[in-house]
Amino acid sequence: MMNPHIISVLVSKDLSLFFRNRFIAVITVLGIVAYLGMYFAMPGSVDETLEIAFYAPVIPPVFDQMKDSGLELRALESERAVKEAVKKGEYLSGIVLPTELMQTLLAGQKPTINLYFGPDVPVESKEAVEALVTELLYLQSGEQVALSITEHILGPDLVGKQISLRDRIRPMFVVFLVMFETFGLANLITEEIERGTIRALLVTPMSIKDLFVAKGITGICLALSQGVLFMAIVGGMNARPLVMLVALFLGAVLATGVSFIVATMARDFMSVLGWGVIAFIILIIPSMSVLFPGTVSGWVRAIPSYYLIETVHQATNFRASWDQVGSNLLTLLGIDLVLIWVGIAALRRKAR
Amino acid sequence: MPRNAIVADELTHWYGELVAVDHISFNVAEGEILGFLGPNGAGKTTTIRMLTGQLKPKAGKATLLGIDISKNVDRVQGDIGVCFEETNLYEQMSATENLRLFARLFGMHRFDCDALLERVGLGGRGKDRVETYSKGMKQRLMVARSIVNRPRILFLDEPTVGLDPTSAESIRNIILQERERGATVFLTTHDMMEADKLSDRVAFMNQGKIVALDTPHNLKQQHGRRALKAKISTKSGKLEDREISLDAAETPDAIHELFSREQVVTIHSEEASLKDIFIKITGRGLE
Repeated sequence: MMNPHIISVLVSKDLSLFFRNRFIAVITVLGIVAYLGMYFAMPGSVDETLEIAFYAPVIPPVFDQMKDSGLELRALESERAVKEAVKKGEYLSGIVLPTELMQTLLAGQKPTINLYFGPDVPVESKEAVEALVTELLYLQSGEQVALSITEHILGPDLVGKQISLRDRIRPMFVVFLVMFETFGLANLITEEIERGTIRALLVTPMSIKDLFVAKGITGICLALSQGVLFMAIVGGMNARPLVMLVALFLGAVLATGVSFIVATMARDFMSVLGWGVIAFIILIIPSMSVLFPGTVSGWVRAIPSYYLIETVHQATNFRASWDQVGSNLLTLLGIDLVLIWVGIAALRRKAR
Repeated sequence: MPRNAIVADELTHWYGELVAVDHISFNVAEGEILGFLGPNGAGKTTTIRMLTGQLKPKAGKATLLGIDISKNVDRVQGDIGVCFEETNLYEQMSATENLRLFARLFGMHRFDCDALLERVGLGGRGKDRVETYSKGMKQRLMVARSIVNRPRILFLDEPTVGLDPTSAESIRNIILQERERGATVFLTTHDMMEADKLSDRVAFMNQGKIVALDTPHNLKQQHGRRALKAKISTKSGKLEDREISLDAAETPDAIHELFSREQVVTIHSEEASLKDIFIKITGRGLE
């Protein structure tokens, strides 16, 4: 028979012990704050506004008047700026009008309009933008005008070969696998420090540098082998094997750096889980930008794993070359170096 | 004359306001066992940590085998073995795996793991996971690990604390065997009997300072009080204690009088113990 009094005393004791451990108390509050912060940082409504960049040496008055909801036309300073912005995914499309548009229209001739799209824009959206341009010029001239519209796809043209959900989710899975190693390695390091085995190691000819290099290699090997195995099985290595290998290697280094930092803050397996989950959730957010394009904004670039996910996505789904993902890889390398350096410095201090 | 294996010169360390080790100086000759005695918190473990390169001295210098450990700790670590006070083994590994791991770290290519396990009384248990071991077995494995590399200097931090008499005796035998092999042993303990039995010299440490350093015999000579203790039977049949100092001028007469006038039931001589001397010097016990 249960004794409610004893149970209540035990519960009270456990709660007291729980909050007496400052670390657990902080991690609990921090967890709630972090998850709430992430929740509110994400878009709370669906933005249905069509964002289109345009360049016109002389802006037709009707373009300036288009401020209705559902359409946002933003004038940029050059055709090149329009192309860059579309390429970066900042606008759905870019419209470039010729210098002599008004004269051509008045002369009853056929002006040439250039439209720029990203590789992932559906046909329906392209048709809508085309119709919009025709409509705007009709409003401007007051009569139906003949136009010569040229479509440019910035990057690989995916018309007729849209990316399947499975392929979209692939970068997310690989990042899950690589980042999950954070838990394992962080726990390994935490146990080493907390159980004092690190002290036994440090009175052998082994130096602390050896120890961190060994831990780093362990972490990188574990994360990299899983990432490569997964990608090999799902065909992700076929398109750009070398690019993928480098990206996964840098991803594994990222996971190792994060696990060093988690291990610095953790004291036992539970606290490894606590800190690890926070890091894990933050690191997988950028995969949403691939899975659900348009749901996350530019701030995801502040999350280190963005550069891994974006590279994996571009290399596997668009066969992106070194030129196209080089800046991502360099950024990731820089972040890796910083994280590893910070992690080692903090761990060294803790170990001593 | 044997060379010094360990030289501590004004070695000092503090944690915040607390001075754990306060300008201590001593030498340990090659092949000598130095017992480092003191109560908990006296600074024994901090001293070991500085001597083994785990902690940098805030002041002073320590040399092992002629090498300054603050500057070249990596040059000497292959020649030392350390047995820690707290158990820090890889519990999910077997004893053999633990020893082989450390043998590999020390670059011991020809290492007879079974013989070492046999030596510490763990023969036949090498394949068992350490987590299944008793405290005594773990401690014996810790000692085994510390001698994997046949160290020239062996540091043992409270190696027998909390052990059953059999395990403790087994560890004491290993310490003596290591000395026979030629190793220098730095032994911290607060077991005075153990220190008396094993050490060539003992150092008393109290509040971060060495307050006495000599052979157990000399310390007893200098600070001890020798006496005869007797039980006599009175006329009424009761037992009473009598004590006669052996160092007084009137001792012969007192002994003569005891035997001629009293009915002596038992008699034995009593030597001062290191514990008594420690209390006399420091004014405190070892607990």
